[in-house]
Parts: sequence; structure tokens; C-alpha cells
Amino acid sequence: MAFALAPRAEAATGRVIERVARVLAYAGGFLLSAIALMVCASIIGRALDGVAFFGPITGDYELVEAGTAIAVFAFLPWCQLKKGHVAVDIVVQALPPRLKALSGLIGDILLTIVAYIIAWRLFLGFGEKFPYGSDGMREVLGMGYRPFFAETTYELEIPVWIPYGLSWLGAAFFFVTALYTVWRSWNWVAQGQEQAV
Amino acid sequence: MTGLELALVAFALMLVAIFLRVPIGVAMAAAGFIGTWIVLGRPSATLSQLKTLTYDTFKSYSLSIVPLFLLMGQFATKSGMSGALFQAASDWLGHRKGGVAMASVGACAGFGAVCGSSLATASTMGQVALPEMRKRGYSDSLSTGVLAAGGTLGILIPPSIILVIYAILAQQNIVKMFVAALIPGILAAIGYMITVAVYVRVRPDSATTAERVPMAQRMRTLAGIWPVVVIFGLVMGGIAADWDWTQDGVQALFTPTEGAAVGAVLTGLYGWATGGLTWAGFKDSVLATAQATAMIFFIVWGAQLFNSFLAFTQAPAQLVDWIAASGLAPLTVLTVMLVAYLIFGCVMDSLSMILLTIPIFFPIIMSLEFVILGYALTPEEAAIWFGILALIVVEVGLITPPVGMNLFIINGMARDIPIARTYAGVAPFVISDLIRVVILVLFPGITLWLVGVLFG
Repeated sequence: MAFALAPRAEAATGRVIERVARVLAYAGGFLLSAIALMVCASIIGRALDGVAFFGPITGDYELVEAGTAIAVFAFLPWCQLKKGHVAVDIVVQALPPRLKALSGLIGDILLTIVAYIIAWRLFLGFGEKFPYGSDGMREVLGMGYRPFFAETTYELEIPVWIPYGLSWLGAAFFFVTALYTVWRSWNWVAQGQEQAV
Repeated sequence: MTGLELALVAFALMLVAIFLRVPIGVAMAAAGFIGTWIVLGRPSATLSQLKTLTYDTFKSYSLSIVPLFLLMGQFATKSGMSGALFQAASDWLGHRKGGVAMASVGACAGFGAVCGSSLATASTMGQVALPEMRKRGYSDSLSTGVLAAGGTLGILIPPSIILVIYAILAQQNIVKMFVAALIPGILAAIGYMITVAVYVRVRPDSATTAERVPMAQRMRTLAGIWPVVVIFGLVMGGIAADWDWTQDGVQALFTPTEGAAVGAVLTGLYGWATGGLTWAGFKDSVLATAQATAMIFFIVWGAQLFNSFLAFTQAPAQLVDWIAASGLAPLTVLTVMLVAYLIFGCVMDSLSMILLTIPIFFPIIMSLEFVILGYALTPEEAAIWFGILALIVVEVGLITPPVGMNLFIINGMARDIPIARTYAGVAPFVISDLIRVVILVLFPGITLWLVGVLFG
């Protein structure tokens, strides 16, 4: 236990992270369910087109796209927390438990770097779509030059920065969760073996 | 270093990383990122691509089928459909020797029609059928082996997550892929039932017989599976059938994504109406969907980076030239690919294998002229046919030791059964799979016939 890093604080942090990740996953799931319902409504409307007020829902296609993207970003933290990302552990299975835990730590560190790159680049992408804010504020936040007009979706003309921003929330928390799992894995190495999540 | 050499080195290093337990999505992304950096001499192109790549990947309309079908499958596991399917199948088949094992296969096939995932099918049907088989004195090997194998029907019978990914990678029509999967999927179920029949003949003590169930009751329980029939009929009928004869071509009622949404809503409503899908069950379904969706999209994202690197190296094109120059017979090349899937399937999951290999294998398949029993396949036919073959062999990986997820899931439900018995029990079903692959290779018409009828 010599090099364990504040295991109690880690456990407490883990509970908070789990709560937030769970809420995000629920939010994504409700959004996904809402999309499914919206699609059904649009199909019924299309089938009865011309009868009374029926008709297809305008922009159903782009709502599905934006909604799925936001939902998937919101799912990422939960998956990482529950060690849901697939890895091949047949080789390390033969190693002593502590080395196996070490391989998990290395995997989590690499994933954290990837999560950082995803969130960082997505934020820059958001900056390119977001037409507001003073130059000073944009510079502090690293958002780059302000675009002259907001890029919008085709039919509903929703500004694209909105789904980008919502997606970024998931991506940012994915990075936070990944950082936490590095901490968790470090302590598993210290304990000598991985625990179930 | 030529592009091909660079690609080979990157591929090898990536495999090493994967086998050292680096998450597969991370390994693919890193290999793609660093590889592109080496090719272009700078990382800025990839970095600037990444501003939009992640969002654009996750918002893909075709890919949105995946979370919707996953949600549908999760709802189905909680809707009580598995119990109704097993009851009907067991009333019709249970009196035969090994009949409950055959019934498990039939029920798995039925469940596969509303669930696109093998693991969910194996675990759901396992919960229903495993206690029943053990109660009736079926051997440990047969009862766990048949359920692990039956679970693969979840993905062989459409809807199927892997087929969606294949169709996107190979730029094929998802609907045609689903239609093509139907007959091979039914053949798989029949093959497994025959395997059970042979199994209990060779090992008579591995199964029992039961009283014949009266016809009236059989009809009643058969009627109980109507929700599966209705939902499968609506989803598949809606995306594949022609709903407007006045116009040319197939006028489907909705797109595959819309079909998945309809399926999820109908399954959810049915589960809610029967009381099987409670609020807690709904939240469970959401969490399971979240985990599986994030896992799949993360690998797809990594594969995007790796595939754009592969395109930069022009390695796939060089491989195509090399194979053309080597004069290898098309069937030999195909066999090598299928065997490679079988070998890698022992240690890797099916989705990762498809994402890793299709960008390399698919251009090769497209460059070859398949003439089988005097019939030359068109490129589209070859693409559909290869997709189904690849799907079957990667799914065999789910039931081959040492890493076969279905085996672990079923074995985990009966902790007192040693895993070696499950391995032994599943072996005859693996043989049945291999025989089916050979048949489908020799007779592409089995796979392509229904596509021709519907879209011809």
C-alpha cells in the first residue's frame, strides 16, 4: 500500500463521478428514446400526409443525427467508468495480478490522452461554429477567430454550435472520468490487483 | 519505407498494443494518428480533421441504427418475450430426445429476430432455458453448449449490429444485407437442431424425453409469440418490402434507422404493457445501451483514424495489385481470410475484427472474379455474400475457446459447471458452423436468392 494515492479520497471521488456519469447516461438514453418516439411520429405523419394536420416532421433526419451524437457523447463516461471499452486481456491474464493491474493502468493513461484530444479538438470545432463572445474572452478560452455567421442545419436551421456544445459536455466529462480511472487503476496496482466495477 | 511496409509495421505494432490490453479503439486511433503523422510529416492535418471528425462520426445517420437496435434488444430482454418463445418451442419440441435443447435453439432464433446482439440473446435465453434443461436432467455440456451456440443466432438473424457496421464500411445497402442474412440465419438454427439430434444419439445419457404436449396447448403457446412476429414483421417488412407497386423499384415504408426506432418503441411499449419493463428496468436498459453504444462508437472512431492512415499509405491498393500479380485463385484468397477470422476470433471480439480487417479485405474481394459452379458473381453480389460469410466466421469466435464471450456468459450462470465441460459441449456446434460456411461458400445462391427476389 506504500504508493497508494489517497484511497479514501479516490473512493469518494469515484462516487461523485459515478453519480454524474449515471445522470449523463440516463440523459442520453432519454434523448435516444425521445428520438425514437419522434421518428415514429414522423412516420405516422408521413403515412397520413394530407389527412387533417398530419404530415412528416420537418427535419426529422437532422434531429436524429444531432440527437444521436449528443447521446453517444453522454454515454462515453459511463462506459469508461464501467471498464466497458473492449480490450484483449488473454495475454495479461497469465501475468501476476499486479502486472495485470499495471496493464490496466497503462490502458487508462493512453485512453485519457485520447479523451483529452477528443475534448480539446471538439472544443475548437465548437469555437469555429460559435459566432459570439468578445475577442478577449475568445482568446482566453482558446476558441479561435469568431466566425462571421453561425453554421446551421439544413432544414430546421438549428445553429450547429448547440449540438456541438452539448456534445462537448459529454466529451469533457469523458476526460474527467478517464482521469479518475487512472487514479483508480493506480490504486489497484498499489493494492496488488484489480477490483470489479 | 514504402506505404505498404509502413502500413504493415503500423498494423503489427497496433496488434502488439492490443494484445498488451490497450483498449482497441485507443490502439487503432494511436496507430492511425502516428502513422498519418509519419506519412505527411506533420500532425496538423489530423488535428484539424479531429475538430469535426468525432462529431461527424457520432452523428452518422446510418450508425444511429446501432443504439436504437441496442435499446430494442434491451427492451426485449425485459419484455417476457424470451419466456413465451421458449414455452412455445418447448411445447412443440420438448417430447423429442434432446427436445428442450432444440427448443432453446428455436427460441434463440426467435429472440434473434428482435435483438441484434449475441451476448444479450445468450444471457436472456440462458436465464430461461438453462434452469429448465438442468431440471430435466440434460447434461452440463449439452445444456451450456447449445445455449452458447444459440446465442450467436442473435446476430446471425437480422437485425444485426455487425452487419450495420459492415454495410457502412463496405458501402453496401443495409437492407439488402439484412435480407441476405435471413436464410443463412435460419439454416444456422436448423443446423444447430440437427447437431442436437446427432449429439443425443451419440451420447444418449446427455438428454431426456418428456410427455408429448396436447395440440390445443401447443397452439395456445404458439399464439403467445405474436409480439415477436408482429415486431419483426413490421421492422423488416417496413424496411425491405415494397409498399407502393405503382412506382418502379422497391418503395420501402421507412429507412433502416426508422425501422430500428419503430422496433425500439414497439418493443418498449409491449414490455411496458405486459409489466415486464418497469421504470427500474427501463433505467437498466438505458445503462446497458449506453455502455454498449459508447464501446462500439469509440472503436468506430478509432477505426476512422486508422483507415484514413491506411488510405494515405495506399497499402490496400498495393495489396490488391500484389494478389492480382500472384495469380492466387479467388477461392483460396477467400479461404485464407475466413480462416484468419476463425483464428483471430479465438481471442478478439467480432466488431473489432470487422473494423480492423474490412478496409483491407474488402478491396481485395472486390478485385477478384468469383466464378462458382459456372456462375460469375457481380461485384455487389460478392460484397453481400462476403459480408454474410465474414459475419458467420467472426461470430464463431464467440463460441471458440479460450476467449468466447458467449461461453463465459452461459458458464457464469451455472458456476458449478467447469468451463471445460462447456468447451466440450459447444464443439459440435462449432463443427456445424464450419459445415454451414463451406455450404454457403459453395452455393452463393443460398445467400443471394432472397435479395434477388425482393430487389431483382
